[in-house]
Amino acid sequence: MKVKLRHITPLLIVLVLCISIAFTAVLEKTEEVSAALITKKTMFNAGSIIMLKFKLNIPSETQLFVHSSYGSTVINPDTHQGSQFTIPSFIANKKGIVTYTLFYQSKILTQGEIQITSNETTQIYLESYIGPPSIIAGGKDYTMHVVVPTDAYDNPLPDSTAIVMKHQFLETEKERIIYSKDMIGWTNIFSYNPSGRLLLFSKVNKKVSKEFSVDVFPALPENFQIRSKRKHMYADGNQITQFITSEIKDEYDNVISDGTLVDFVIKDTKGVMLHTQGSTINGQAIAKMLHPDKKETWEVKAYVQGMAESNTLSITYTQVLEDFNVQFNNNNREIIIGPLQSFMEQLIPDGAMVRMDIFKEQKKIDTKIKTTSEGIVRFLLQEGFYPSGSYDIQIKALGVQKEYKKTILQ
Amino acid sequence: MTSWNRNIYRSFIIISFIGIVVLVLFGISQVLSYLNTGADRTSMLHLAVSKEQVYLPKLEWKDTINPGRPIEKQTLLDIEHDYLNAWYIRNAAYQTNKKEGIEDYYTKSARQNLLKSIGSNKKKDIAIHGTTIHHNIALDFYSADGQLAVLSDTNVKEYQRVYKGDEVLLEAELRSDYQVMLMLEDGFWRIRHMVKEEPRPLDTILQNKTLARVIGGKIVIENQEYQIKGINYYPQKTPWNMFGDDFDIDVIAKDFDIINDSGLNTIRIFVPYEVFGKAKVETEKLDKLRQVLDKAKDKKLKVIVTLFDFYGNYSVLDWTLTHRHAEQIVTALADHEAILAWDIKNEPNLDFESRGKENVVAWLKEMISQIRQFDPNHLVTIGWSDVESASLLKEEIDIVSFHYYRDINNFIEAYNQLNTQINKPMVLQEFGLPSSRGFWSPFGPSEKGQAEYHKQFQEIIKQENIHFLSWTLYDFEEVPSAVVGKLPWRKHKQKHFGFIDRNGNKKPAFEFIAN
Repeated sequence: MKVKLRHITPLLIVLVLCISIAFTAVLEKTEEVSAALITKKTMFNAGSIIMLKFKLNIPSETQLFVHSSYGSTVINPDTHQGSQFTIPSFIANKKGIVTYTLFYQSKILTQGEIQITSNETTQIYLESYIGPPSIIAGGKDYTMHVVVPTDAYDNPLPDSTAIVMKHQFLETEKERIIYSKDMIGWTNIFSYNPSGRLLLFSKVNKKVSKEFSVDVFPALPENFQIRSKRKHMYADGNQITQFITSEIKDEYDNVISDGTLVDFVIKDTKGVMLHTQGSTINGQAIAKMLHPDKKETWEVKAYVQGMAESNTLSITYTQVLEDFNVQFNNNNREIIIGPLQSFMEQLIPDGAMVRMDIFKEQKKIDTKIKTTSEGIVRFLLQEGFYPSGSYDIQIKALGVQKEYKKTILQ
Repeated sequence: MTSWNRNIYRSFIIISFIGIVVLVLFGISQVLSYLNTGADRTSMLHLAVSKEQVYLPKLEWKDTINPGRPIEKQTLLDIEHDYLNAWYIRNAAYQTNKKEGIEDYYTKSARQNLLKSIGSNKKKDIAIHGTTIHHNIALDFYSADGQLAVLSDTNVKEYQRVYKGDEVLLEAELRSDYQVMLMLEDGFWRIRHMVKEEPRPLDTILQNKTLARVIGGKIVIENQEYQIKGINYYPQKTPWNMFGDDFDIDVIAKDFDIINDSGLNTIRIFVPYEVFGKAKVETEKLDKLRQVLDKAKDKKLKVIVTLFDFYGNYSVLDWTLTHRHAEQIVTALADHEAILAWDIKNEPNLDFESRGKENVVAWLKEMISQIRQFDPNHLVTIGWSDVESASLLKEEIDIVSFHYYRDINNFIEAYNQLNTQINKPMVLQEFGLPSSRGFWSPFGPSEKGQAEYHKQFQEIIKQENIHFLSWTLYDFEEVPSAVVGKLPWRKHKQKHFGFIDRNGNKKPAFEFIAN
């Protein structure tokens, strides 16, 4: 069979065509998408519009993975198959490094990072934290003033931002310029010797903070003096003696805080301890105590527990009566004591205590206590309780004691 | 008749009246009891916030020296705890695009930033599964009143996997530095500011393997080439429960003698994840493991320790817990001379389908790097269940391990095929045949068949000089359902892989246990 040229030509053409198609197909497959960043700028102010433009050798559907301070997201190009990406505002507004990864079908094309800085051209906000809110006078205690300056997008301003910190205390006004570090600017303000109120504020550029206050309380009380005040010196068990402290102050001459509790401890001649207390107002505490009902000498001392104490005060009460009448009626079964007369021979005020001890065969069998009414106390020894016989009776009133031995009850 | 009707009406009215009263009373009581329910008032104080730790990335305090004031140990722990919780909540929020818990760990102004970002991801159907792996914290500032702290968290190792719907878009490993300001609010240390910073360069530490090395495709121990001739080992009475209450080191010691006398030099054992206490490894279990290794050392056996047996979560948020598990075991045994290699996981490729290949591979990859940090002395491998998977992560591991239970006649071909892809030592880590002829498997191999199989395999192994570990020393009485499922014929098969039968007699195959 003869091979004709016109048969071969179309065959050859088809063959060449096939090969070329195959080649281009292979070429297309092997040529990979690659990309490079065109955008030159890598530093941006927070709040600005950030667009990243890449150069792609083949237009394709790339995506951008973005990782920033508060997390990650994936963004699509501004246009279909485009190569320009606008960083969303919630990332563009926040300070910090933003790393990006351009990828195409899970394959990383290019990676890099941009930096977003806080925007000082916007309104500045100052967040102040002051603590502790109350301190003690004397220069040992302090309060800390922390300022966090931020821009309008709530980004902390960069390190070395100048912060003016001012405070006023009585006649003193002080100003200090500090430079922020680690997001914050801070200063310690030590107390002065006087107590009072410290006012603080801070300022960055022209932005001023509101006023803050810290109370400076007096330091620990120093030892103090006490005195007593009473209506008379008699042990009538009726009047009240006041114990009054001097003005209690701390070591810097500040009157201690109102409401400081002062304990008064009274020791009587038998060594019995009595307590009373008062809290201070303007440095003075007043405590009260009922007069004793018999001759007595009290040793009084006051304490601010654990901190300060007073001098010891000695105070004497004299007896109001020398003697009293006792009347036995009704076969000695009714005993009337009195009238009890006080220091001017007046009837003793109602309520003075009278005590009667009853003994039988040297053994105390009962004690009866009553208070006077119009100077008189009346005891009844009833038959049911006290059978007929001989009793010893002892009566005590206002420090006077009388004894009636072998009293016969019928 | 009328009176009957009237009585019926009367009783009907009375009964319905009583019924209505009962209903009304019931209703009122329900309303009252409803009004009395609700949050316990003490919950406002956050005293009883659950303290179970679900997030345990490695956290190191570099220093706590700061110009503000010395920090108390308790506060340090509180800050650490709340800071990690903040990361956990953030990772969980990005994974689910829900905002649960954010308000507990971010202040009002800081949480806006997260919510916007999450909102945007939700709109775009993007979910980011991420975790942090390592934190290095330095305290920059702690205020006098103990209400404010600033931290630097450097070299935070983060892993993120980005999904669009169900499709993985990208995996990213990031290293970032953060500066964080926290404030004590309502008993929580909450993040107020967070700024990602220019990362500082890493200090690179060169790690030298000292106890086992791979040089030129060969395993080398004490400058001598080491050929693995081994067996997978469980005690006969306690398969898959080696470290339980019936642990008996004397039984194990006797078994080690048998193994050693038969000419083998290596065993492979398994450390179950949950039994060992998950993120908090039980010291008692660790102690048992150490006893086994000590005994192996006495008997001159090397051990391949397979970790994470029966583990199957792999989710990114679970990573840090598994890292702590590995840390406690691997660090404790990093200097143990009996160990040849850490096998990260047994047959992880079987979980590809149920857990997602990307989940499993990413977990393995990070776990390899974790274990290398904890222990630079030993080799690392993964026990793939087939030759097809064996080349995965081949760059990351030291020795490539695979299991072969298929037709012995195709083994050489499969092995050579794999060999062309890999230039590291390859270990045939499991192979064997059960002498399972019996009720459940009437046509299964007999003991003779099993012996024949091992004989043939040993010939191939000798010829090709292959590292091998056979499955397994003993026939077992019981096989837990967790291993091969509940089906009796499967269990039956699994019970007969041993070289020694359940009465302690050597089966014919024992002759071919080694070459």
